[in-house]
Amino acid sequence: MKVDVLLFAQLADAVGARSLSVDMADGATVDDVMTRLAETHEPIRVMRETIAVALDERYVGEGTRVRDGCTLALIPPVSGG
Amino acid sequence: MSADHARYHRQTLLPAIGAEGQRQLGEAHVLIVGSGALGCVIADALTRAGVGRITIVDRDVVEITNLQRQILFDESDVDAGTPKAIAAATRLRAINGAIEIIAHVDDFNHRNAERLLGDADVIVDGLDNFQTRYILNDLAVERGVAYIYGGAVATGGVSLPVLPHADVRMAAPPRRLTWTDAQSTPCLRCVFPEAPPPGTTPTCDTAGVLGPLVMTIGAHQATQTLKLLTGNIDALDRRLLSIDVWSNEWRRFDVSGARRDARAACPCCVEGRFEHLDGSAAGAAITLCGRNAVQMTGAAETSALDLDAAAARLASHGSFHANDFLLRGVFRDERGPDGDAIELTLFSNGRAIIKGTTEPELARSIYARYVGI
Repeated sequence: MKVDVLLFAQLADAVGARSLSVDMADGATVDDVMTRLAETHEPIRVMRETIAVALDERYVGEGTRVRDGCTLALIPPVSGG
Repeated sequence: MSADHARYHRQTLLPAIGAEGQRQLGEAHVLIVGSGALGCVIADALTRAGVGRITIVDRDVVEITNLQRQILFDESDVDAGTPKAIAAATRLRAINGAIEIIAHVDDFNHRNAERLLGDADVIVDGLDNFQTRYILNDLAVERGVAYIYGGAVATGGVSLPVLPHADVRMAAPPRRLTWTDAQSTPCLRCVFPEAPPPGTTPTCDTAGVLGPLVMTIGAHQATQTLKLLTGNIDALDRRLLSIDVWSNEWRRFDVSGARRDARAACPCCVEGRFEHLDGSAAGAAITLCGRNAVQMTGAAETSALDLDAAAARLASHGSFHANDFLLRGVFRDERGPDGDAIELTLFSNGRAIIKGTTEPELARSIYARYVGI
């Protein structure tokens, strides 16, 4: 199944993309998607513990299952001001 | 028509505010921590709106690079080297002499946090680092005070309101501003449990920042504050706002499940451990005797700081070189109190030695702005 991933703030800049798409097996969780992304994108690995994850615009824990066609948003804390 | 009536007339015309809301604003006290870009916008809006008492805390002085976005300052503040809190207070008093502005030229930290809070009804975040934000969040949860987080870098920003649950609140005199359990929200650490490791997050000094971005985020924070102070708690935007004004993205995320669904129970608003406010999680800034230098040890030490990337981010600020163990260089435009050039030595675990000053506040400021926490 296909999961769309949106990247925000410095995460988008560090990865060099504002969106990604990943193919996941049925039954995959947010944790599985994050692990896959961390393997291929170093900034996501480094920032993983600090990122808030939303599934279809609602905050979710990493144990939540993803669905085909859903959108995960990866929101890092923004420090400046 | 009295002067006060005329001053606030266009605001009291709004049914949600009216004369009663204006009276509530006049009796309110807001603490703004940080008087940089966000703090200036927030303070300007709340001063014009007639918030009765506004306390501003900032440790820095006005510099020429601030004027592009920090709307309360001008060239005379740069020439005089005026502390930001003082320059802001002077400008705010000229805008509205009917309210009280209290300015503290100070480093907001776990030792002075409760004293500076006083009887404030809302804490508004104008900070540039997560270490101090977690102190604000601890303080808000422990004391049952509303807290409005905002952050902005480059062209992107976020904001989140925190109305702490009462579960772990310390016994304290009741506050003017209260809310029900159903109106409570997750805290900052429910949503962002860990601070970015030192050196991994861009800052306004390394990545730049667009002036109107901070005005947008600061305006949202000020609006949220006005809703709270006038009793319009149900009008609060309870979502996490995330915007990028350059790529035209405006998104809001429902974080109401964050306290329940967090990876681990929130140490702050669930377990009642205020490790930032009690100082146990604090990074240290220690003056190194006889060396005209301050050593910074990060609150969140990292073993994986990418020193080459840090050197690249600092390239426009001076000459910086990294090897396998450390990064070292001198800032072109930063000076210590005696006019000495500021030299940074940054180790891969986040520890830093900042040479050219013995002032911990200046060292913290340099670290937050150029290394990033």
